[in-house]
Amino acid sequence: MENYENIKVNFDSFIQSLESDADDIEFRKKSFNHFLTNGFPKAKDEQWKYSPLTKDLNKFLSVEFSKSAEQNFPEELKENYDHYPIVFIDGNLQLDNVQENGLKIVKNEKFLKSVKKEGTNPVLNFTNAFADEGYLIEVEPNTVISKPIVVYNFYSNNFSSSFVSAKNFILINESSEITIFEKNIYNSDQEYLITSNTEVFLAKNSKLKKYNVNEENKHSTIFNFTKANLDEGSELEHFTFSKNTNSCRDETIVNLNGKNSFASVSGIQSLLDSNNHEIKLNINHNEEFTESSQFIKSALHDSSTAAFQGKIFVDSQAQKTDGYQLSRALLLSDKARFFSKPELEIYADDVKCSHGSSSGSIDDESIFYLRSRGINEKDAKEMMIKGFLAEVIDKLKDDRFKKIFFTKLGHDSENV
Amino acid sequence: MIEITNLKASVDEKEILKGLNLSIGKGEVHAIMGPNGSGKSTLSYALSGKEGYNISGEIKFNKKNLLELNTEERAQEGVFLALQYPTEIPGVFTKNFLRTSLNSIRKANGKSELNAIEFLKILKEKSTELKINDEMLARPLNVGFSGGEKKRNEILQMSLLEPSFIIMDETDSGLDIDALKIVSNGVNTLRDPDRSFLIITHYQRLLNYIKPDFVHVLSDGKIVKTGDWKLALDLEKEGYEQFVN
Repeated sequence: MENYENIKVNFDSFIQSLESDADDIEFRKKSFNHFLTNGFPKAKDEQWKYSPLTKDLNKFLSVEFSKSAEQNFPEELKENYDHYPIVFIDGNLQLDNVQENGLKIVKNEKFLKSVKKEGTNPVLNFTNAFADEGYLIEVEPNTVISKPIVVYNFYSNNFSSSFVSAKNFILINESSEITIFEKNIYNSDQEYLITSNTEVFLAKNSKLKKYNVNEENKHSTIFNFTKANLDEGSELEHFTFSKNTNSCRDETIVNLNGKNSFASVSGIQSLLDSNNHEIKLNINHNEEFTESSQFIKSALHDSSTAAFQGKIFVDSQAQKTDGYQLSRALLLSDKARFFSKPELEIYADDVKCSHGSSSGSIDDESIFYLRSRGINEKDAKEMMIKGFLAEVIDKLKDDRFKKIFFTKLGHDSENV
Repeated sequence: MIEITNLKASVDEKEILKGLNLSIGKGEVHAIMGPNGSGKSTLSYALSGKEGYNISGEIKFNKKNLLELNTEERAQEGVFLALQYPTEIPGVFTKNFLRTSLNSIRKANGKSELNAIEFLKILKEKSTELKINDEMLARPLNVGFSGGEKKRNEILQMSLLEPSFIIMDETDSGLDIDALKIVSNGVNTLRDPDRSFLIITHYQRLLNYIKPDFVHVLSDGKIVKTGDWKLALDLEKEGYEQFVN
């Protein structure tokens, strides 16, 4: 068993420095004690078997909080279209005043609206014990927010802490719509741990498009947890673009609680060197006539490793549900590895569920076809890899972000 | 223009082409007909440089030995193979593929690459002739294309890349009469004193629309008979039986 004495000391001094109410302190203490019972996850735990975090988290047996002095977010990193920014600089939240009817963006003070229940996930408990920043986005009923919100998580060269933790909250009320784009920028060369817990509530007939970009995280270790609860007729489109990400676990839980709710959770990951990235999805069909889709594609170079654990759960009362899951990986070197664990747990008898998983190398016939048109082998392979990943982007519903992600991939679609 | 001498090709010790000789002059259209298993597709792959074959002999093309060039270098020299079953490539968009292909060939030949505007102008012109609409060009390469659309897309590539030697491997297979007419018209407009064709086909039907200068019969890896276009009619009537050992 690892020695958690240092973390205990860290936690005690953190709690003392915190200006918070008794309820909040109590919840943090409970979460922390829960975390201590088993400590950081181990590879022998089925839920963490393929996770890079089982070895990397032990680098953080002592966590250091020191708020950096960095105040300025480099203008050139801002997206070049009209949007509402939310900026975290080295973990500190900076907000602009938002002047739009029906939209509220504030600090997630004391996380009052969050569900305060400690779970069995040790890293989530750890996050809930320590998280001291976060945003709250709320859209009032019957409001369509046309400008996207862009969340920048920026880690500057001056960043000197070893741990940042955030707890965010997104509430979309009845018949409202919004698009949120979350972008991580890692300039710091430090070794640090980032954990986040984002809770999403989608009320009746509301729509959320949540897109994430995670690129080149250098020496950081990342745990991103998202839980979305969907009421009747609501829709979630959740997509994550990961490139050269290492030591990272993206975990998403979706609860389809209302009839005719729909969730699409998709992602692409392009990994190099000894990158190690894990995606874990749990889609719970808790009500009848619910629909879900999971679509993950991985392009694995060098000795990179990717893991995908995707589960479709169908409750006994969730008849007429439709659950789909597909994961494909391109192994671009003999040393690249892909672990896939699709799971179906179905208690209803009138459902449509399908899953597929494959891994393989680039199709020789396709390479021959491209080369026979004068395209050299290297470019042909590049086109194939980009094309392979682009298929996930092509299914996104938002044209603006489709274009943004195609460009990120270096892939032209209708633009030649 | 193309001089094939004693061409042999084998896969896993099995010899498929057994010393094939063929000479195609500038601007000539040659047809190769033959029964199943005679080596027709292998010939097309040997000419275009597909990997996986053991090949010996010589293929002289514009004074170069094609066997010393890889697939893309042959394409850049002006060799074009229209496939019997064009490959579907999800995620690679047709327009983008066409521009990359054209620019790769232009670059290899010391010409400037075309920018988007220049390219789209040429594409518009060529695709309209072949009744290929914008919607089709916006789709991923050959994905969800009908048999006819795939073949028209092959002809469009020929017309854009302007190769000097075109090999057509059973282009007529799976085409209805209307599609066959569009494809044949496309090919006929590309006939040119500087461009040679090798049309590989199982049936004589295509040759009603594209009239060859010479017809060869391929059997058991060798050319066993050569004649003019009337030979195709005889074959249609009497079958390949007489040439099979």
